[in-house]
Amino acid sequence: MTTVTTLAGDPPQAAPPSRRAFWLRVVLAGPLAFVCATLVMAGGALWLPKGAAQIDNLLLPILLFPAIWATLFFYACLAHSLRRAYLVIAAIGLSQLAMIGIHYFAR
Amino acid sequence: MISLPQRETRSLLAIHGWSAVFLGLLLYTVIVTGVASVFGDEIGDWANPIEQPSAQRFPAGLGNALQQFADSVAPELRESFFAFPRSGGRIYAQFHRDEKDANGRPTERGVVVDIDPRTLQMSNRREGDEDAMNDDDTVNALPDFFVNLHVRLHVPEPWGLMLTGVLGLAMLVAAVSGFLLHRHLIRELFTLRRRKKLLSARDAHVVAGSWNLVFSFVLAFTGSFFSFATSFGVPVLAMVAFNGDQQAAFETFVGNPPVNDPRPAPMANLDAMIVDATRRAHAETFFVSVEHWGRADARATISMLPAEGEVFGTTYVYDGPSGAYQYEKPPLGRVPSFGGNLFSLMAPLHFGNFAGVLSKAAWFALGFAAAYVALSGMRLWTQRRIDQPAWRPLAQAVNGIGYGLPLALIVASATYFVARALDADLQPAMMRMFLITLGACLLASWLVRDTARVAQTLLILTGAMLLGLPALRLLCGGPTWAPMFATAQFAVPALDTVLVIGGLACLAGAYRTATRMRRAPQTLALERVTE
Repeated sequence: MTTVTTLAGDPPQAAPPSRRAFWLRVVLAGPLAFVCATLVMAGGALWLPKGAAQIDNLLLPILLFPAIWATLFFYACLAHSLRRAYLVIAAIGLSQLAMIGIHYFAR
Repeated sequence: MISLPQRETRSLLAIHGWSAVFLGLLLYTVIVTGVASVFGDEIGDWANPIEQPSAQRFPAGLGNALQQFADSVAPELRESFFAFPRSGGRIYAQFHRDEKDANGRPTERGVVVDIDPRTLQMSNRREGDEDAMNDDDTVNALPDFFVNLHVRLHVPEPWGLMLTGVLGLAMLVAAVSGFLLHRHLIRELFTLRRRKKLLSARDAHVVAGSWNLVFSFVLAFTGSFFSFATSFGVPVLAMVAFNGDQQAAFETFVGNPPVNDPRPAPMANLDAMIVDATRRAHAETFFVSVEHWGRADARATISMLPAEGEVFGTTYVYDGPSGAYQYEKPPLGRVPSFGGNLFSLMAPLHFGNFAGVLSKAAWFALGFAAAYVALSGMRLWTQRRIDQPAWRPLAQAVNGIGYGLPLALIVASATYFVARALDADLQPAMMRMFLITLGACLLASWLVRDTARVAQTLLILTGAMLLGLPALRLLCGGPTWAPMFATAQFAVPALDTVLVIGGLACLAGAYRTATRMRRAPQTLALERVTE
C-alpha cells in the first residue's frame, strides 16, 4: 500500500490539531522561522571565524541562509510540542539579537 | 528505507502539496525559464549572430578601442569600468559611478557601448541612469528576456529577487519533503506501473522526482542563495558589520583593499594585461574590470575562465597606470578561504557551465525533468480535488499555465525577430506578446471544460511555433546556415535543429494524446463487457 492511499484511506490515529494550534504553527514555520533565520545570518557575522581571507564570517551566513531557514521551517512543522518549538526558535533568535545589540552598543 | 511515523508523514505530505499550491505556478515559471537560460549564451548567438566573429573573447586591439571610449566619458563617471563579450562576441563595455536614488537606494549612472570584436567599432551608445543604460539594449534582448523572467520575474528590484528567493525556498521544501516522503527511495527510482498501457501519472511524478531529487535540492539551494545574497543578505550583514555601508561590505568581499590617489595618470593598455593573464592562466579572459580609470590609483582586475580540466577560474590584479602585474586572487577575498571556495561552487552548480555544452545539456535535461515534476505534481494535487468547486480554478490555471507558458515564451521569441525587423522596442513588445499569449491560454483553459483537449491544442500550437521559428528567423533577415558554418558560429544551425526536433516532439505528443483520447472510451466499454 502506498503512502498516499494510507493517508487518504486510514482514519486519523490522533485527534486533529485545533484551528488555533494550526495557525500558531503556520506563524512559527512561516514569518517567525524567516525572522529567526535572518537573525542567525546577521549574528553569524559576529561569532563565526573570519578565516584566512577575513570574509568567512560574512560569506558563510549568506551561503547557509537557505539551509538555516529550511532547518527551522521543518523543525517548526514537525515538532511534537508546539510550545517547545516556540521556545527553541525564540531562544535562538533572541540570543542572536542580544549579540547584535551588544555589538551595536559596544562600538 | 526512510521510516517516519504516520503523523510526520501526513504533515510532510501536506507541506509538499501546499507549497506547490501556493507557489507552484510561479516556481514552474522560474524553472522553465531557467531551463532556457542554461543555454542563454547560445540563444544570444543564435538570435543575433555577427557577420565576422573574433576567435578570441577579448580580441587584440580592444585596449585602444576602450581607451577611445574612456576619452569620450566624463572623468567623474570613470569610477568603475567593466567589459565582457555577449551575443556574437560583441563586447559590452560600461563606465559608471555609484549613486543613491531619491529613496536612498544604491543606483548607477554611466555610459555603455557595444564594440564589434572584428572592426572594434563602437555602437549603440547609451548614457544616463540604470534605466537609460538598459533602454535600447538590443544586442542581448532575447536571452535577457528569459534571464530576467528567471531571475526576478520582471518584478522591480529588490522585490523580484526576494520573490524568486522565496520560490527557491519553496522548491527546497518540496525537494526535502519529497525525499522524506519516499519511503522506498531506491525501489521508486525504477517503479513504473502501467495500467491499461497508460503510465500511472503518480508513478511518473514519483520516478521523475526521485531521479531529480539531488538536482532539485542543489538548484533550489543555489538559486535561493543567488536571489537573497544581494537583495537581502548583503544589506543585512552590512547593517550589522559595516554600519549599513554596503559599498564597504562589497569591497571586503572582493578583497581588493581600497586605495585613494586621485591624481590624473594615463591608463596602461589593457591588451598587454589580457595577454599576460592569458599566458598565466592558460585560459581565456572571462571579464575585465577597472577601478578609477585615468587616475594614479587605477587598478585592473582580469577574471579568467577555468583552464581545461579545472572547475574554477582565477583572477589577476594589475596596476592601472603601469600595467604591472600585482597579484593573483580568488573571486572573493584576497587569499583562498573556506567561504570563498564554497561561494565559487555556487555558480557552476547552478548554471551547469563547468564542462561546456555537455554539462549544460545535462543541466537542461535535469531542469526539464524538474519542470515536469513541478507540473505533474500540481496536476496530481488539483485533479484529485477536481470535484470540489473551490479547486477547479486552480486546476484550470495549472492546465493553462502549464502548457501555455512554453507557448508564450516561444511567441515572445518570435516577437523578438518581428520587432527587430520593424525597428520596434524589443523588450516591451516581447513582454506584451508573452502576457497576451499566457492570458489567452488561461482564458481557453477557463472556458473549455475539457482540460485534455486544451492541453492537446496548446501542445499542437507550441509544436507549430517551434517548427516555424527558424523560418521566421530567416524571413526577418537572419543568416542562412552556410555563412554560419563558414564562420564557425554553430549555435545557429544547432538551435534551429533543436527547435525543429522540439516542434516534432510536441506534435508527436499531441498525436499520442489524441490517440489515447480516442481509445479511452473503447477501453472503458471493453472493461464493462469483461465485467
